[in-house]
Amino acid sequence: MKVLIPIKRVPDTDQKIQVKPDGSGIVTDGLPFVINPFDAIAVEEALRIREKSTDTVEVLAASIGPEVCEQQLRTALAMGADNATLIQCDASLDPWNVACVLRAFAGRYQPDLILMGKQGVDDDLSQTGQMLAALLDWPQATFASKIEFLGSGLRVTRETDAGLEIVRVTLPAVVTADLRLNEPRYASMTSIMKARKKTIERITTTELGVTIEPRLQLLGLEAVPSRRKSVRVGSLDELLVKLRAEEKLL
Amino acid sequence: MRALIICEHDGKGIRLGSRSAVAFANAVAEETRGSIECVLLGHSLAAVTQDASTYAPVLVADHPALENPVADRYAKVIADVVRQRGYDLVVAAATTFAKDILPRAAGLLGGAMASEVIGHEFRDGRLCFRRPLFAGAVVATVALNAKPQIVTIRPSAYPAASARPERCGVTSFAVDEAALPKKTEFEVLQSKLSNRPDVTEARIVVSGGRGIKNSEDFERLVGGLADRLHAATGSSRALVDAGITPNAFQVGQTGKVVAPDLYIALGISGAVQHLAGMKNSKTVVAINSDPEAPIFEVADYGLVGDVYELVPQWIARLNGK
Amino acid sequence: MNETNNNTADVIIIGGGVAGLSTAMQLAMRGQRVIVLERQRLGCGSSGRAAGLLGQLRGTAEHTRMLADGLEIVMELEKRAGVEIYVKTGSLRIAETPERAQEIQELVAMGKSIGFNIDHISIAETARRLPYMKTDDLIEACYSPTDGHLQPAELVSAYHKVGKGLGVRYEINCPVEQVIIQGGQVKGVKTPRGEFHAPVVVNAAGPWSYLVADLAKETLPTAAIGHYYLTTRPDPDHPVDRLSPAVRNRHHRLYTRPESGGLIVGIYEDEPVEYDMEKLPKDFDMSAMKAGRDNLNVALLIHLTQQRFPWINERTPMTISTGIMTFTPDGKGLCGPLPEVQGLFHCSCCSGHGIMQSPIVGKVMADLILDGKTKYDLEFMEADRFHDVPGYQERADIKRKCYEMYASYYGQVEKANVVVKH
Repeated sequence: MKVLIPIKRVPDTDQKIQVKPDGSGIVTDGLPFVINPFDAIAVEEALRIREKSTDTVEVLAASIGPEVCEQQLRTALAMGADNATLIQCDASLDPWNVACVLRAFAGRYQPDLILMGKQGVDDDLSQTGQMLAALLDWPQATFASKIEFLGSGLRVTRETDAGLEIVRVTLPAVVTADLRLNEPRYASMTSIMKARKKTIERITTTELGVTIEPRLQLLGLEAVPSRRKSVRVGSLDELLVKLRAEEKLL
Repeated sequence: MRALIICEHDGKGIRLGSRSAVAFANAVAEETRGSIECVLLGHSLAAVTQDASTYAPVLVADHPALENPVADRYAKVIADVVRQRGYDLVVAAATTFAKDILPRAAGLLGGAMASEVIGHEFRDGRLCFRRPLFAGAVVATVALNAKPQIVTIRPSAYPAASARPERCGVTSFAVDEAALPKKTEFEVLQSKLSNRPDVTEARIVVSGGRGIKNSEDFERLVGGLADRLHAATGSSRALVDAGITPNAFQVGQTGKVVAPDLYIALGISGAVQHLAGMKNSKTVVAINSDPEAPIFEVADYGLVGDVYELVPQWIARLNGK
Repeated sequence: MNETNNNTADVIIIGGGVAGLSTAMQLAMRGQRVIVLERQRLGCGSSGRAAGLLGQLRGTAEHTRMLADGLEIVMELEKRAGVEIYVKTGSLRIAETPERAQEIQELVAMGKSIGFNIDHISIAETARRLPYMKTDDLIEACYSPTDGHLQPAELVSAYHKVGKGLGVRYEINCPVEQVIIQGGQVKGVKTPRGEFHAPVVVNAAGPWSYLVADLAKETLPTAAIGHYYLTTRPDPDHPVDRLSPAVRNRHHRLYTRPESGGLIVGIYEDEPVEYDMEKLPKDFDMSAMKAGRDNLNVALLIHLTQQRFPWINERTPMTISTGIMTFTPDGKGLCGPLPEVQGLFHCSCCSGHGIMQSPIVGKVMADLILDGKTKYDLEFMEADRFHDVPGYQERADIKRKCYEMYASYYGQVEKANVVVKH
């Protein structure tokens, strides 16, 4: 069985994110970049599937973007992915573009399962997996907190607003990982060393025959001021008025 | 613009969030001299249709094959409706229902989608959306380059639409069962009992500290308030240490790092170890009996008082609503 | 009371970590008007990232005596602030090689000679006390029942609470931009909130302290070094009691203590991560530091941890904490003035021992500032001990020596300075 894990390179969002003065993007100088945390969960799940399976399972990590994305592929390799492919692309990509590239790549690689993060923690869109499933005409199971293998398919527990929903999907399928699916491992010293030596395959979006046509156009960014108001309120009533009227919360 | 609202329902009526989506669509339709319709998907939708028709003209896709909200089927029906009837804008409330189904429909309809919209405006006649990025630290203004434009909106950003004086028309939409995908089988929905959201993902976190004396009180005060606010529960390390809360609740340097829209700190003193885990929260409320507690330094709203008195009052207000 | 226009004090302290907060509190106890200037929030630098181990038996009798006296201060602090700071778990040193066994024997002899509560403990007893630790390869161990750890967050808030009660003023989010010096005498500091004036300024800026010294054209021999420790989540198969003894295992370069039902394990790796504080962003936030899943230092930490705690591996649910330590070329703190500037005192650089040294260091600093002397023999941690010493003048040399010190921190065999009781 072949499992494809799309990997997104994202800024570490626990750091302070600053917007460029002209609003065209965020300041990336000195900002650490990581493997999208939900994608790390997807990698971990693929590794566990491989460990439990009696069949041969190949775990392939793939990232779309410039050369620097190699770092996040190395992370996936160090965690235990078998192989990695960098789909070279310098254009900025929206979920539709990524879904189109991944569809083309899946056409070549022929995975049985595409396991990916439920959203990127940078743009918080949560669209790519679903769009990809639509383009491939595969079933999908989003926001997975548990994945079980049945004879010919998967039984997936999904985290929804209404509760835990269980669906069965046939393979091939797209599954997106939610937070409670697992806790990703740290890489061991030997696997970090091995990952450093691994060859990362490269292919371009042009070679995949995909033209990048943005659907989601960014017009500008603004930082949300994070100043604390430091207001002492005298009573519960005053507090509730503030929260409702001024903060539009509750 | 012609707008279509995907209404989410509970079998009896449409959900409050969908009424916010109606309000958003109404606003856009007014500004563009357009129109709105809503679509209901499911089975045995008579009551829901009644309810929905008080807010907008209704299209009903009522079929046994749509009994459960399975993404591939629902997305296919939505795409069929949009293609056949030619909408410019497709909108739903940003719930897990829509987050699952709408991007898949977008995948079938050309891929122009903006998620979690919190505001909109027209720039030179072009509809633009405002949406949060980086867990709310940044707001982006975006536009969509293809038709239809598909969006989910945050219900908190748009007050729910009120009922129209007269009921709107209802049209049924024929579902071709043979054309529906059959690769997904819905097994069961285990509805929540006290299944609170995960503390790292919740929009609201209610967190307890040393001021809470035991597990029962934690559940009654912190848990009680959390349930009424659909919030997650968290705690400081002191409570984990004392065995009052499980380790998974711990917010702080050696626990979870959270950044909700609202963080309510009950009886938490605000040690650095805790602040490291919650300082990125959008709005922080602190209730503590110690006026010198450092939590007040990072709080937007501080209330000096006993959580044992104030929290039951707060819960009572919410129950009384 | 017009606070905003009254920016004059007896002493200004730069840095709201444990060193600065303790010094401020001690000075206030002696009637001084003190202002603490903190670039972000109190205790949000190294203090807030520390594990807080307290091992009182050090290489010299004087150092041990100071730490024991510091513990008395903590006891008093607990009473005044009403929080538990000190967790008396006891501590173990363990050895698996003859050299390390010898080291322990010397330490026990030294401890006993100064009346410190320490003794050999059998391997069977060690195994009984720490059922979650591998003990079958040990040949020697010793136990100090009065050791433990100070809870860093509680310590910070207690210093703050007591200090505030004594009138100390804390200015947070207030970075120091300039040290004002006239005629070789310090006059105050400049911040975005204006100038603050005092005849005495204390540099307690932790990893930033060498940059503060630079502002006064003094050379402080410190360097900033990354450090990692892990905290496991509670595991029902391997329960860790809240009062399980701390362990120092120098052969595997690691230390450990209980934390919230799990275990903290940290190491002094031989290839530490070096930091140039001047190159970090102005608003760098140490509490947001994180380690990647393929960080080699973390992998080494887990690897060494597994040697001693075989149930912990890469897949164990855990949190990795990382922060920046301040090291000196000999691993000892720096307390007191340098010759160039009158009134400027340095107090930091406790080489991974800032939490446990802070109670007594605050007292010592107050004595030095107000009396010009202290009752302790402070030779080993005087700030000027590297002054004019060749090889400690250039930043590159200082950095190299500090990194070497860190790398050999647990690696080298410690020679106890045996004191014979008269």
